Amino acid sequence: MKAWKKISPYFFVVPSLAIFVVFLFYPFFKTIYLSLYKTNNLGQAKLYVGLDNYREVLQSPSFHNSLKVTLIFVLIVVAVSMLMGLINALLCQKAFPGIRFFSTAYALPMSIASASAAMIFRLMLDPTVGIVNKLLGVNIAWIQDPKYALVSVALLTAWLNSGINFLYFSAGLTAIDESLYERASVDGANEWQKLFRITLPSLRPILFYTLVVNIILAFQSFGQVKILTSGGPGESTNLIVFSIYRNAFFNFRFGTAATESVILFFIIFLLTLLMFRSEKKTSIQR
Amino acid sequence: MKNKFLSLLSAALVLVLALSLCNGMAPVAAEEEKTEIVFWHSMGGVNGEAIDYLVNKYNEENDKNIHVTTEFQGSYDDAINKLKSASIGNMAADLVQVYDIGTRFMIDSGWVIPMQDLIDRYDYDVTQIEPNIAAYYTVDDKLYSMPFNSSTPILYYNQDMLDKAGIKEAPKSFAEIAEMAEDLMDKGGAGEPISLSIYGWFFEQFLCKQGLPYVDNGNGREDKATKVVFDENEGALNILKAWKDLHDQGYAPVVGRVDAGLADFVAGKSAFTIGSTASLKEILENVDNRFQVGTAYLPSVTDETDGGVSIGGASLWALNNEDEAKEEAVWDFITFMISPASQAYWNAQTGYFPITVKAHDEDTFKENIEQFPQFMTAIDQLHDSSPESQGALISVFPEARQIIEGEIENMLNKDLDPEEVVKTMAEKINKAIDEYNMINE
Repeated sequence: MKAWKKISPYFFVVPSLAIFVVFLFYPFFKTIYLSLYKTNNLGQAKLYVGLDNYREVLQSPSFHNSLKVTLIFVLIVVAVSMLMGLINALLCQKAFPGIRFFSTAYALPMSIASASAAMIFRLMLDPTVGIVNKLLGVNIAWIQDPKYALVSVALLTAWLNSGINFLYFSAGLTAIDESLYERASVDGANEWQKLFRITLPSLRPILFYTLVVNIILAFQSFGQVKILTSGGPGESTNLIVFSIYRNAFFNFRFGTAATESVILFFIIFLLTLLMFRSEKKTSIQR
Repeated sequence: MKNKFLSLLSAALVLVLALSLCNGMAPVAAEEEKTEIVFWHSMGGVNGEAIDYLVNKYNEENDKNIHVTTEFQGSYDDAINKLKSASIGNMAADLVQVYDIGTRFMIDSGWVIPMQDLIDRYDYDVTQIEPNIAAYYTVDDKLYSMPFNSSTPILYYNQDMLDKAGIKEAPKSFAEIAEMAEDLMDKGGAGEPISLSIYGWFFEQFLCKQGLPYVDNGNGREDKATKVVFDENEGALNILKAWKDLHDQGYAPVVGRVDAGLADFVAGKSAFTIGSTASLKEILENVDNRFQVGTAYLPSVTDETDGGVSIGGASLWALNNEDEAKEEAVWDFITFMISPASQAYWNAQTGYFPITVKAHDEDTFKENIEQFPQFMTAIDQLHDSSPESQGALISVFPEARQIIEGEIENMLNKDLDPEEVVKTMAEKINKAIDEYNMINE
């Protein structure tokens, strides 16, 4: 009986472990394995090349461009989507008539598939018949001009991601003790002071969590790029994830794609590690 | 507790027994042997409905007890990728629609039964198939796949604008477009003379039109291509120069890739656009008689206008599942799909060519031409092209197209020198070909 008690917990772990192994660990190690090979047109490892794929990718101007573009993209997406989420959440903090409508509207992007949003935006951003140019009274080729393409896709992504941020921040706001505000009011604090001295510091943990999630989410954006620009014009929106897709499923180079995936993994891994480090440090200081 | 468990168990047992009994009885009631085949296609929208109509008709009418199941696979790229993962076990489909530029890949894959084998086995008269279309899919004198939906690019023009600008004849070359451009914008009311999409397919066609090959080894048809030759034969340079000239003069702004130029044309902003014949129906429907739509041969980038065009679109590939009954069924289904009646219907519904010559005698076809005389341009253009202008075969064609499109965009947006751009294109594509040939032998 005692032995059973010792073993039995492991049985409960088996299902989730099995899922992890099949869908996470196996693909993960297979990717690393593939990144050391040149693959044939069926994606089978054919020729062992060691670290040649890495050398090639890290030296290719196309990948440098992807890195640069991805970085700019992530910066825009994370900054704008977090700001949007935060502002929207603050606006919905107080109860007023019609609040349900607004909070639903702000959370809505969460439920829109990136692909369908991109389809709609493709129509709206069309230079000739699109509504965006009509409303702004300009004539800009939003997704055909390399000057605007990346920003357009980034802003769409930011809007899509803002829904989940709104949710996180709203949850964070309700957790703040109402009495803090009351006391501050008694002390004569104005609304701005309350925002910067009470609301934002209290949101710190959730702010940090949202930042990490947002960065990872932004790095993985794919559907909107595929539909809106396919990495173009030129390579101005060729994000790393899109470049991986193109190499694997378009150019028959699974080895190169696997290499890029591993590099992307390390980038995100390092960033997350760094953020956790800095978070720990600052919280100890406090 | 234990009792409850036991009773549950016995109940389950009874159920299982009952079920297995039912199963054992079933075959008696079922019909005699039915041959099931699976057909993968990539036709969405109106074209997909036309496929479903044809397949349903076949399922009802065929007397060989064959049942065809269609499975829509998304884009051509998606379909070919799914095939790759399915191939490791056995093929998930018996018949699959693959795009023109996947031809080399399919031949190299070794998954297929060459259509010629079936044609020889069942004694089909190949002369029924439009020779210029069959030529594209013929490699080493073997027809590898059955042409099904074929198209060529044509020039669409806004007749009303041309009339207002006092232009009598559609342009035959880029230079002529440039000559008409000012009149079209001043008198014709055009926002832009031509909305020219950046599409690798057009680049290939402009090469064809000059009568020049894309790659070596007989355009990749005598043997595997080892490098591009468009940089050596000046073909690419002619295209890029002409394209850039139009763009720099403000006559052909960057509108986007593949079919993005159609929107401006339909909206009545551009006087010309280049598009697939398969877009004719869609264009006419969207224009909805707001202006008259004319069609003309694909314009040439040089003054030389004799060369022809090659076809695009897709064809049907029989996959090798080592099952003779299925092979026979697949063949029977194909003969139905390419029968004059089916092809006339297909043509009228979609705007793709009827690939069977005899389809021209069908009433459906005649009525369609009467209603949309613009379609005749496409057929004449195909007949005026020689089978020699059958287009290249390259294993890395999808990638090559992407490279061409990206580099043309770079040239137009960053004002690069066409000669440099041709060099970059050639380098990138050659590298892809080298690597592919090295790994896949």
